[in-house]
Amino acid sequence: MSAEINKTILRMKINGNAVEVAVKPTWTLLRVLREELRLTGTKKGCEQGDCGACTVIMDGKAVNACLILALQAQSKEIETIEGLGTPEHLHPLQESFIENGAVQCGYCTSGMLMSGKALLKANSTPNVDEIKRAISGNLCRCTGYIKIINAIEKASK
Amino acid sequence: MQNFQFHSASSLQDGLDYLAERAGGCKIIAGGTDLIPALRKADLSFSVTRQKSDQKSASGRSELCKIFAGGGDVIPMMPKDTHPDYVLNILEIEELRGVTETNDSVRIGPTTTFTEMMESEVLKRCLPLLVQAASSVGGPQIRNRGTIGGNIVSNAPCADVLPAVLALEGNLELHSKKSGIRILPVAEALEAPYKTSIAADEILTGILISKLSPGTRSGFEKLGRRNALTTARMSMSVVLKLEDDGTISDLRIVPGAVMPVAGRMTNAEEILLGKKPESPLIEDSATLMAESIFKITGIRWSTEYKKPVVQNIFKRLLKQLLQDN
Repeated sequence: MSAEINKTILRMKINGNAVEVAVKPTWTLLRVLREELRLTGTKKGCEQGDCGACTVIMDGKAVNACLILALQAQSKEIETIEGLGTPEHLHPLQESFIENGAVQCGYCTSGMLMSGKALLKANSTPNVDEIKRAISGNLCRCTGYIKIINAIEKASK
Repeated sequence: MQNFQFHSASSLQDGLDYLAERAGGCKIIAGGTDLIPALRKADLSFSVTRQKSDQKSASGRSELCKIFAGGGDVIPMMPKDTHPDYVLNILEIEELRGVTETNDSVRIGPTTTFTEMMESEVLKRCLPLLVQAASSVGGPQIRNRGTIGGNIVSNAPCADVLPAVLALEGNLELHSKKSGIRILPVAEALEAPYKTSIAADEILTGILISKLSPGTRSGFEKLGRRNALTTARMSMSVVLKLEDDGTISDLRIVPGAVMPVAGRMTNAEEILLGKKPESPLIEDSATLMAESIFKITGIRWSTEYKKPVVQNIFKRLLKQLLQDN
């Protein structure tokens, strides 16, 4: 029961594109995104659901990619930071993060943006409390959160 | 993580069949918010354990697992079986998800997420205690994955929803291929921290809760080191019914995260049952509750803090429920 375990084909949609990748049962979605698909915008932080750096959107909901076995993502639709905007055309949230100085070291930023995106999809005009609640699963050790909250609030207007 | 085989059940029958053949070495996964960190932590300590056991014998993995399981204090919060050979995913079983009601009861599918509980119209109307408890769990990402069934069967001392289910006198519907269906009160399923009496070949298929009689009130409060994304230092679930003459006819008190296994505080309940909730009686009840808790846990460094706080949370919640109309 060790080396002989075969890989299984995982099919999912990532940022609108159908993807097929052979994965081991023990791999998490985070590992597949970063190591197999080289989508390294999704960050690896605590790996136990405490920091939110690995936040992606799965079937419309913000989730921690580190807490999902890759094979549990079979047939799911995943959105990662790579699908949020392009260098030429940033997403309004990305624009707002830059304008409001909501990025310092940047490690939490992709997770913050994905939590922000999931929030705005469900609620296009959130109040400050709703924004705070939406990013309560994402830790930032630089900004003190105020600028991030402002950035999401301004992007929603 | 150590290797395992993964199977995603397409139906309950498929899941039961898979489990029946592999019961001993199979772990069920739903949201994975408890299981995946546990498997990962177990893995981190595995190499240390292997070195020790190599000196004694060149035995196979099953023995390593046994030795490893003895090192409970090395890995805090370690579930007993952290090296499964098989992992069965039950999240895709449609019938295990969602909230339904009959005239007098509510049925919650075990893979209903905390977010789904918070959004459930049935729960908001009939069992708001569960909505409050679910909304106190982790952050949005955890609530979008974590499930009520997982919160119960993991039986973690710090569980947020489990104490509320105990206060609501919930029952578990358990299915196995060999024995069919059985119903077990949640309180009877909890054996020890991270351990339940649910058999290895059983799948939890429903949480069954009777609706509260009209006029019954309920409340939940949680105390953590910070507001969001926090493990409970303490929580309190209370169900209360006040009669027209002002006496208490139903009272259920379940503190969370203060005992190894959550349970009703029957001594404290009895002081107030059938009586009018006057201040001296409430004080007596709170004192007895704290005494009962610390009789179980023993006196620890944190007792000096927890003792007054658990009493005050209870008194505050009770006062609030008595004022509600």
